[in-house]
Amino acid sequence: MLFEELLKQTGEWLSGTGPDAEIVICCRLRLARNVQGFRFISRMDAEEREACEKQIRAVILKASVVASDRYVPLHETKALDRKLLVERHLISKEHEESKHPRGVAIDAGEQISIMVNEEDHMRLQVFQSGLQLREALARANGIDDKLASGLDFAFSPQLGYLTACPTNVGTGLRASVMLHLPALVLTRHIEKVFQAVSKLNLAVRGLHGEGTEASGHFYQISNQVTLGRSDLEILANIEQVVPTIIDYERKARAELLKRDRLRIEDRVWRAYGMLRTARIISSEESLMLLSALRMGVHLGLLPDVELSTINHLFLNTQPGHLQRLAAHEMEALERDARRAEYIRQKLNGKHS
Amino acid sequence: MKCQNCHKSDATVHLTEIKGGSKHEMHLCESCAAAKGLPGKAHFSIQDLLAGIASTQQTGKKGKTKELQCPSCELSISQFQSTGRFGCPDCYTAFSSEILPLIEKIHDSTQHAGKVPGRVSPEVALQKEVRHLQLELKKAIKREDYEKAADIRDRIHRAEQELQARGTPASSDESGPSA
Repeated sequence: MLFEELLKQTGEWLSGTGPDAEIVICCRLRLARNVQGFRFISRMDAEEREACEKQIRAVILKASVVASDRYVPLHETKALDRKLLVERHLISKEHEESKHPRGVAIDAGEQISIMVNEEDHMRLQVFQSGLQLREALARANGIDDKLASGLDFAFSPQLGYLTACPTNVGTGLRASVMLHLPALVLTRHIEKVFQAVSKLNLAVRGLHGEGTEASGHFYQISNQVTLGRSDLEILANIEQVVPTIIDYERKARAELLKRDRLRIEDRVWRAYGMLRTARIISSEESLMLLSALRMGVHLGLLPDVELSTINHLFLNTQPGHLQRLAAHEMEALERDARRAEYIRQKLNGKHS
Repeated sequence: MKCQNCHKSDATVHLTEIKGGSKHEMHLCESCAAAKGLPGKAHFSIQDLLAGIASTQQTGKKGKTKELQCPSCELSISQFQSTGRFGCPDCYTAFSSEILPLIEKIHDSTQHAGKVPGRVSPEVALQKEVRHLQLELKKAIKREDYEKAADIRDRIHRAEQELQARGTPASSDESGPSA
């Protein structure tokens, strides 16, 4: 069963093996497409939604983009399983919550997800660890071309790919890079980053995309403009700014160590201590503590902890994952206790 | 206006978001916005841009005029304005004079410079023709134009036979096994 399989693995893009992995978590590339002959989702009746979902599903499976058992019809899927997909960034929150016929195709390494009947008829996403936008684009284009021979995409020579929202029209491309910037936050230089980024017409968002706060010092940087530039020009704009931010973050970390080593060590070790001993821990608190731990590992302050363990904890201590692992729904307090227990077991080994 | 978060400083960062059709507004001071991890300078608000459409539409029209509507999906321009979402691909043409300035403000361009889709396979073109003919058939029957209807039915039949010869069913409802 797909969901059991997912629970056993950490998506390839979370492997922490990409270039600059201590700062760049991963990058994501999304292409929005609609099929000519169907209205957009918000305007469809039940019959049309079903027909649209069936047609796109058939083309995805015929093109062998994913194995046939890796297409999930979300309207026939339990809420807890759908939450699991949101927490793994494979579907959006809106896609999880809506009611009509819809689905998602997921490849074995969780690097490809194709949402069907989301805001647009089809949203293809490709994930890569580290800053590898061009690799992600090449991959997305390959899949897009395969699907285009079976689906007549709504396209105008002037405005490009036509999308439900005018903010996506043109390339339908949204590229984003997820960064971990704790030292820039601690040294209060993060504002400068925002300013530099907004001058380039790029957006900064929190961990879970639109409208979310930057919890755990994770930030997503993505393009806003989708029309009038080629796909590569859009990527180049992001590629131009990200290395500078990486450099700033590295310098800020070095500066912190030089100037405030004791305080940083204290912060990291306190986080480690809390995570290894706490009995109740909220998801927000665990995110902050794991963020400190992650920085500690990269500064060489915590030689015993593996990055893969931290990534694993980030993923599996989310509410949906905890409940799915326990195979039942839990109230907040029970969840927080279960989370604390899970983290203790992972960090302390058998004797917790 | 005071900051919604600290209620002390003046709100200088105004954010409007459209999510699932509903509006969310936030008014924060610079430091609370920064604490929430938001950029100090708010990026463009699509709501402001959408509001701009109304004025361009009302000026230059005398008295009571019929509201602009997309002929394909019957979405009106004011419905678009309240949701920020189009109803179908044809809305772009139907509302072009109203929305091109909006698109230019968002993207600083009105000319696509990216990828162009490859040609669709003959099977897909045929499927599209069948869908189109089925609609025409419904219309003909509604008008009681049975001669025309019979003719369309023959054409659908021929297209379906060709599709079958190519190994593709006419309506693509060959849903694969589900997970």
